[in-house]
Amino acid sequence: MEVVFWLSFVVTLLGAAMLVTQKHAVYALLGLLIAFFGSAGVFLALDAPFVAVSQILIYAGALAVMFLFVLMFTDTRTEEDKGLPGAIGSRAVFDPATASSAKKKKKGEEKPHPLSGLVMPKPMAVVVSLSLLVCMVVAIMKLPSSYNAFGELPSVQGATVREGEPAPNYDTKSPRHVKQPDGSLLDVPRHVRYGETAAVSHTIFEGFPLAFEVVSLLIFAAVLGAVLLARRHLAGIPGTQDTAKEQEHA
Amino acid sequence: MLEPKVVLFLASVLFCCGVYGVLSRRHLIMMLMSLELMLNAINIMLVTFSRHWAGKGAGLVGAHSGQFFTLMVMAVAAAEVGIGLAFIVAIYRRKHTADADAAAELKG
Repeated sequence: MEVVFWLSFVVTLLGAAMLVTQKHAVYALLGLLIAFFGSAGVFLALDAPFVAVSQILIYAGALAVMFLFVLMFTDTRTEEDKGLPGAIGSRAVFDPATASSAKKKKKGEEKPHPLSGLVMPKPMAVVVSLSLLVCMVVAIMKLPSSYNAFGELPSVQGATVREGEPAPNYDTKSPRHVKQPDGSLLDVPRHVRYGETAAVSHTIFEGFPLAFEVVSLLIFAAVLGAVLLARRHLAGIPGTQDTAKEQEHA
Repeated sequence: MLEPKVVLFLASVLFCCGVYGVLSRRHLIMMLMSLELMLNAINIMLVTFSRHWAGKGAGLVGAHSGQFFTLMVMAVAAAEVGIGLAFIVAIYRRKHTADADAAAELKG
């Protein structure tokens, strides 16, 4: 497990570094994907295989594709590099003449105050995030040493179970009905091991069923909202018609 | 033996990478991606805490609650990205740019 952890440690950090340093949006998205796969490995090392698989399915499978779609819909250049050789996705072919003219225009313009916009200047962002990191590391150092060392699992029975020994059994609330030879049903407690999918499902449906249902409602609302927001006529762009009206005209 | 604090350290480095990205990137989609990285770091922290600090005597639900919360965070993050990307498409249609400063006014 430690090998898995250290491998994914390196992969995750590399992906995160790629995300924040790459200027091209698609490469940054690739870095995010790598970081997601790395953290799936971390989840695997933490005895959470179900979370690891859902991480890959949801993040790498669905979110990354959605990001890629929107990157292709929009121009990935910002005001900063308009007219300069654009990032991937910009349709404009690099033309040295326009680039130099854009540079000249930039020089001629009055430079706005660096803190006037929403975006922080890079050195300041580095200082802010590094000081946050220092705070977090100090807080982590001050944590009590873990109740369960690596390779030990939280146990119901009070005794910790070492790695390699039979994993602790957790009693679930739903017993298994075993048919007796005389035809009657005997309730046998159902046991699950730490981290396996059955344990997660029992946690969801015995511990937090309401939250599970509410989240499904939330996702439904989000889908409706996304469809509404991205509709053409609701964006109110001058010059564009309602699609229904366009169909009428045609 | 691997110290669980190392995992927390990894998660905080990831979180701070995300913070840096959100603060310094101009492009709205890049800001959203960095936000996802921050959420991912929090997921790792949740799983680590429930795995190593659940305590003896934590029942089935207690020992796995971190994994459950992680799944909830994933669902909420997916919803958030859906809405956020729809917003970005709408902003791009109006302003013809996805620059963060273009959306600062929140006004057509």
